[in-house]
Amino acid sequence: MAQTTAPPTSGVRVTYDYVTRVIHRTLGDPGKGYFALLGVAVGLLTIGIICLLFLLRYGLGLAGYSHPVYWAVFITCFVFWVGIAHSGTLISAILFLFRSAWRTAVYRVAEAMTVFAVMTAGLFPLIHIGRQWYFYWLVPYPNERGLWPNFKSPLIWDEFAIGTYFTVSTCFLIMGLIPDIAAVRDLATGWRKKLYAITSLGWRGTNEQWRHYSRGYLYLAALATPLVLSVHSVVSWDFAMAQVPAWHETIFAPYFVAGAIYSGVAMVISLLIPIRRLFHLEEVVTIRHFENLAKLCLLTGMIVGFAYTTEYFIAWYGGPTPEHKAFYYRAFGPFWWAGWTMNVCNWFLPWILWFKKVRTNLTALFVISIFVNIGMWFERFTLIAIHLAGEPFEPFVKAGYNPTWADWGIMAGSFGWFFMWFLLFVKNFPAVSISEVKEVLPPPVRGRHA
Amino acid sequence: MVDGMNRRRFLKVLGVTGGGAAVVAGCGIGPEPTEKLIPYLVQSEDEVPGVPTWYASTCRECPAGCGILVKTREGRAIKIEGNPASPINAGRLCARGQASLQGLYHPDRITDPMARDAQGHLVKITWDDALGRLSAKVKDARGKGIVFLTGLEASSFGDLVDEWMKQVGGRHVTYEAFAFEALREGNRLAFGSAAVPSYDFAAARYILSFGADFMETWLSPVGFQGGFSKAHGFQAGRDAAMAKFVAVSPRMSLEGMNADEWIAAIPGTEGLLALAMAQVILSGHLGAAPGDAGRLTELLSRHTPAAVADATGVDAKTIERLAKEFAASKGGLAVAGGMAAQYPNGAEIVAAVNILNYVAGSVGKTVKFGGDLAAGGAGSFRDLTALLADLAGGKVALLVTHGANPGYSVAGFAAAAAKAYRVAFATVLDETAGAADLVLPDLHPLEQWGDSRPRAGVVALQQPAMQPVQSNARGAGDVIAVLAGKPGTFKDYVQGKWKAPKGQTWADAVQHGGAFGDAPVTTAHLGPDAAKIFPGKPAAPALAGDKGDVSLIVFPHYALYDGRGADKPWLQELPHPVSKIMWQSWVEVHPDTAKTWNVDNGDFLLLTTSFGSARVAAWVTPSVRPGVLAMPTGQGHVAGGRYAKDRDVNAFDLLPGAANGYGGRTFTVRASVDTTRDHRYLATLEGDPREGGESIVELLTLARATGLHAGEHAFAEEPLPEYADSAAAGWAAAQHDKASLGNYATQPTRWAMAIDLSKCTGCSACVTACYAENNIATVGEELVQRRRFLPWMRIERYFNQEEGRPVRAVTTPMLCQQCGNAPCEPVCPVFAAYHTPDGLNGQVYNRCVGTRYCANNCPYKVRFFNWFNYAERGGEHEAWPTPLDWQLNPDVTVREKGVMEKCTFCVQRIRSAEHQARIEDRSLKDGDIVPACAQGCPSEAIVFGDLNDPHSRVHALSEDPRGYHVLAGLNTKPGITYLARVVAGAEV
Amino acid sequence: MKNPLAALFHGPMTPGVLGVFGHLDDTTRAVKDLKADGREDFTVFSPMPRHELEDAIDRPPSSVRMYTLIGGIAGCSVGAWVTLYMSYDWPIQVGGKPIGSIPPYVVIMFEMTVLFGALNTLLGVALNALRAARREGTIPYDPRFSNDKFGVFVPCRPDQAGTTEAFLKQHGAEEVRRA
Repeated sequence: MAQTTAPPTSGVRVTYDYVTRVIHRTLGDPGKGYFALLGVAVGLLTIGIICLLFLLRYGLGLAGYSHPVYWAVFITCFVFWVGIAHSGTLISAILFLFRSAWRTAVYRVAEAMTVFAVMTAGLFPLIHIGRQWYFYWLVPYPNERGLWPNFKSPLIWDEFAIGTYFTVSTCFLIMGLIPDIAAVRDLATGWRKKLYAITSLGWRGTNEQWRHYSRGYLYLAALATPLVLSVHSVVSWDFAMAQVPAWHETIFAPYFVAGAIYSGVAMVISLLIPIRRLFHLEEVVTIRHFENLAKLCLLTGMIVGFAYTTEYFIAWYGGPTPEHKAFYYRAFGPFWWAGWTMNVCNWFLPWILWFKKVRTNLTALFVISIFVNIGMWFERFTLIAIHLAGEPFEPFVKAGYNPTWADWGIMAGSFGWFFMWFLLFVKNFPAVSISEVKEVLPPPVRGRHA
Repeated sequence: MVDGMNRRRFLKVLGVTGGGAAVVAGCGIGPEPTEKLIPYLVQSEDEVPGVPTWYASTCRECPAGCGILVKTREGRAIKIEGNPASPINAGRLCARGQASLQGLYHPDRITDPMARDAQGHLVKITWDDALGRLSAKVKDARGKGIVFLTGLEASSFGDLVDEWMKQVGGRHVTYEAFAFEALREGNRLAFGSAAVPSYDFAAARYILSFGADFMETWLSPVGFQGGFSKAHGFQAGRDAAMAKFVAVSPRMSLEGMNADEWIAAIPGTEGLLALAMAQVILSGHLGAAPGDAGRLTELLSRHTPAAVADATGVDAKTIERLAKEFAASKGGLAVAGGMAAQYPNGAEIVAAVNILNYVAGSVGKTVKFGGDLAAGGAGSFRDLTALLADLAGGKVALLVTHGANPGYSVAGFAAAAAKAYRVAFATVLDETAGAADLVLPDLHPLEQWGDSRPRAGVVALQQPAMQPVQSNARGAGDVIAVLAGKPGTFKDYVQGKWKAPKGQTWADAVQHGGAFGDAPVTTAHLGPDAAKIFPGKPAAPALAGDKGDVSLIVFPHYALYDGRGADKPWLQELPHPVSKIMWQSWVEVHPDTAKTWNVDNGDFLLLTTSFGSARVAAWVTPSVRPGVLAMPTGQGHVAGGRYAKDRDVNAFDLLPGAANGYGGRTFTVRASVDTTRDHRYLATLEGDPREGGESIVELLTLARATGLHAGEHAFAEEPLPEYADSAAAGWAAAQHDKASLGNYATQPTRWAMAIDLSKCTGCSACVTACYAENNIATVGEELVQRRRFLPWMRIERYFNQEEGRPVRAVTTPMLCQQCGNAPCEPVCPVFAAYHTPDGLNGQVYNRCVGTRYCANNCPYKVRFFNWFNYAERGGEHEAWPTPLDWQLNPDVTVREKGVMEKCTFCVQRIRSAEHQARIEDRSLKDGDIVPACAQGCPSEAIVFGDLNDPHSRVHALSEDPRGYHVLAGLNTKPGITYLARVVAGAEV
Repeated sequence: MKNPLAALFHGPMTPGVLGVFGHLDDTTRAVKDLKADGREDFTVFSPMPRHELEDAIDRPPSSVRMYTLIGGIAGCSVGAWVTLYMSYDWPIQVGGKPIGSIPPYVVIMFEMTVLFGALNTLLGVALNALRAARREGTIPYDPRFSNDKFGVFVPCRPDQAGTTEAFLKQHGAEEVRRA
């Protein structure tokens, strides 16, 4: 299928065998550095767990909430991680449907990131509710109370959207892995051999298997594509369905989806650059991949910037409405720094990606991607905590808001949780798709009969 | 209500058979509450479990003597409401009165008699021992000086103390930190009689208050507020739709907030203002001045508006205008008190205001001598300073205290009293009792017999509503009766004192709360010294002290009063009506002054006077005259239980310890101010200082309001075009059909409320009523600072910020609006928030998982979250340490950590009324259901009922031209209709 | 062979010849010629899907798509049923909205469509793979097929093995094995 596009890698020395081995090598014995990273991740996770235990024992009051700031850092993190989760399926599904060959080298990392990000995001709604031990009351199961959940509540939509997204993206990841696991199975030894023998589900690459597999993969992609767009739309409706000024906006769905992909791609970049270095994948994952990612970042960044502009314009154009007050508060209120962090990082920074020099400079890309992630976190923080604090309807309850150690600790824990899974994954499963990279290589041809 | 004897027998029965551990403990049977559940063996005919029993009694939180009804459930007092039969408060009650329950159940109440041991520590002793010591002390103190110090006691208890003191050759001194010396002296100057007349606010057509905080603490605040809102509340169809109210005082108090005009005169010049007005009236023959008013001509001629303009800081034109309005109203009432009666020249100010009333012909009409108030009997500050001198001079061997706490309000007291043997009757160890040598645990007024004579012709009886919470406490009356060798108990003494008016037996007097009569009105004429006041040239008086050049006003805190409220969490967490600050003390600074000092909200100021100094946080507000500071009393206790102790600073420390000219205490002193670097968050209800000038309260000018006809709507939302209108209507109809199913199908009741802002004064009695009725947790200073409070009902206070216009404060109660299209409901994932068939926004606490989405989506922000478990035994944030939890209303859930809570229109009251109606096999009548807030409201501003019943009062009010809905633009269809406040004046 | 599953999947080895190819075009040509002989029972191994091979093998498109379709439709209807049934099972009015209001439920319906569709697709792949495995479990495999080699297995009676070997050899098989 890849004949139309040039092979992504620098070519000369890259054969099927090279690809298999270079990717198999990533599963080799981890060095000290790896364990150091893993240690940091687990450490953060422990901090998060300890904070969470305190939270469960004494109540949410330990966090920085106030009246009327009823949602804050936890929901911010929820939206942040869900956003991160979006680029994965985008790259693997949408670009797959668009037959863009360059995705093959990067989509596995992106997909893994997706799954783990959703796993992280899914924790936050559970952490943030007041009676965490009753979270299952949101699930429609027959209960002695004879009561069903309220399907009119965007939170229930969330539950379904996130649940579906987690299931489907996990299936997608696993399905993509099968042939590659088979490939490493055939090279592996010892316990890994056993592990891969089982997880490859007896894959042999026969024409029958490929026939059903490719179809199945295609339809999964076809289903996942609208799903990606829907999930963050639904998340955005958590806010758009409420009548809080600066939440109650029709542009939220596209605005959030773009933002999600934006942050997701940024996260892929910030993950892929070190991995490429550590695993010596320079030949497989090339500058061209990063430039394409950067272009995607640029595109979505521009959309996000446009959305910001629209918001401010409408708020100004709408005259003296609560909307107007809300955005004035965002820009010049006591929390102006949060609002401007988000503007600078998400709105102004991506402009320098117009320069090819920047797009092809890994250091620059890495720095930018980190800033974009910071910016996107602040976007959600501003949107949620700050706009609640700036309550424009009821002047009497405008309030301040200060996050506490509990907020920060649990947020740190979520990063630990995410990176722990991610690190474990890249050392135990092929972080780059073997079979799909081969797909876009020129096949070995004797050429006599050609 | 049953008569006393039956009740007592019943309580014995209940005590023995019990109604569960709680009741057994409540009745003081056994040292520890037993865990056994004991069913009624003998069901007493007048007690049904689950059905409250009510006892009429009298409130003793202040000398006003309001009649109360105590609601008891299974032998426990759980709520206090006003007694409708009482002429003093007509069924209403202020926050302090309602909070007396927390005095009854205070966790730090004294359990046993205590005396000093060798090391000087208080140790528990037996009653026999205690009484032995006391009578011994009395014996050998005879002739060496015995003093019994009580609060103002116009009651049998006072009589008993007098008799006993006569027996043992001692003297009975009464002390009120806020006594009314200036009032009495001023009346003596003007009318030659030191009596305190009763003021008929209800009859007034024009009200002028010179500093009198008659809705907060002055004389009889509940009754006065009721009368005030009857007169001042807008009522179309009256000859004058409302009485204009002008408040004159350098600091905007609750009265200033309700005033149509607030005149911030220079401190101490209120009297000059009054005289100038009198001058205008008399010289212009505007009022029906009695003949002898001529004697005043010379005095008044020296006080023309022009002459006093500079001294008062009020321009002559304004003074003349006010005078003309006052006279023209033919029914003006001018009162002087509070701040104005606490200057060095307070008495003269009162006299001047009396003269104003006199020349306007109000005396006898709105100012009624004859029905004199008990306040006339209070001891003066001079009496106390005399006592202090005696104590210091060792002329007093035995000092018995009861119901007075000079140890807190008079700096030198503790030291002076140390020479005497101090005996204290007390319920908690306040500063005075804590320093005593012998402490006798007194019964709380709700546990013992007594009476009070708040006003000539009124005898208010007080009966125990439940068995003592502290089983080993004894009523001071009983103890003294024994010591004084009276036959029988103190109850018998009270009954003996009581003279039956014809046709009333003791039984039904007790049942109805006393004998309520009226004294004949007597006439008053100018006294000999009337013209002798203000001899000199018009000028502001020199304030007490010589340090600094800022005038500092110390005023009584609305809830904590002279400090006696500070041990009650409800009062501590009641946002002050003006400052909205809780749990803290503050000093009010005008923004201009603050700018010059570069001071912001919460910055600490160091105030130093000639008498003491205090470090107190600033509250920057336009509600005080520039260059003037104002600070409330009440905080800064060094004893008095966990809620009062070690909290902020004591304003009394800044005041002179010596009595002034008229025997009173001067509360306005000169102070020097040093700014500090320290800062703290004010524990306040308002999120943003002064709300950036925004407000959700609607106002109308009197002219506009009177111009409105039925059917008109002053605040109709902007009309939709025809097509849009019909479309919206059609959609609503279709929506209704789709939503009408099962219980929702028929046209059900729609519980709704109407709040008349021209009556609501913002006094916040409803807030405490709500706390008491709905088991709302108090969270304490730190959590208030973090905005974790849960006031289902909050009184919002907005200042009009516009430049160059007189500062006006407006208030509005904000509670759950019970929306028809409630934004909170559809977002709840578990149906914890849902719409009940009778139109309430139900909140199922046990169903709530705490996503808090509802609170985000509520534009009124009236939903509150349980961030911690406030009911946790011994928890850091425990709100009801035993026995405070005995007060909890058994009809209302105590909410768990992690659930959302909100106003339910007192759904428990709705249901019980419905059940009652079903039992009586009738349908509900309008007025059957009265939510706690509406019941408590002293100005009857809140009306509750069924909106769908075309004959209900709430339905009629919802049609009122003044009616509006808050944030109506959001199409939430609120169940609460606000009636716009009407301002008598050219502009709002 | 105690394990019944093993008995199921590892039946007696199918006799035949396995050719290992290093080049795609050789493999394709071999497949084409096999088809020309009218053979359908051969098996092709490849490290990745190649459309050249697919065209050469030329089998009908996989039936997995039916699973996806059915799953999707089922999911959509389950979503609709769940939301509407549960709304009317205990009708509770919130915010003046209709008891069963469709717009919000569309979200649930959509998500269920995707969920069921995806899961059913996996099911489809699994079932088909199982059917294939019944036969493929009995033919030889070479680890290099997952790396860089192609393979063609032609089942045949032992006496024809020689000709088949020759056929594969002259089509460029790098090595041939009898099974």
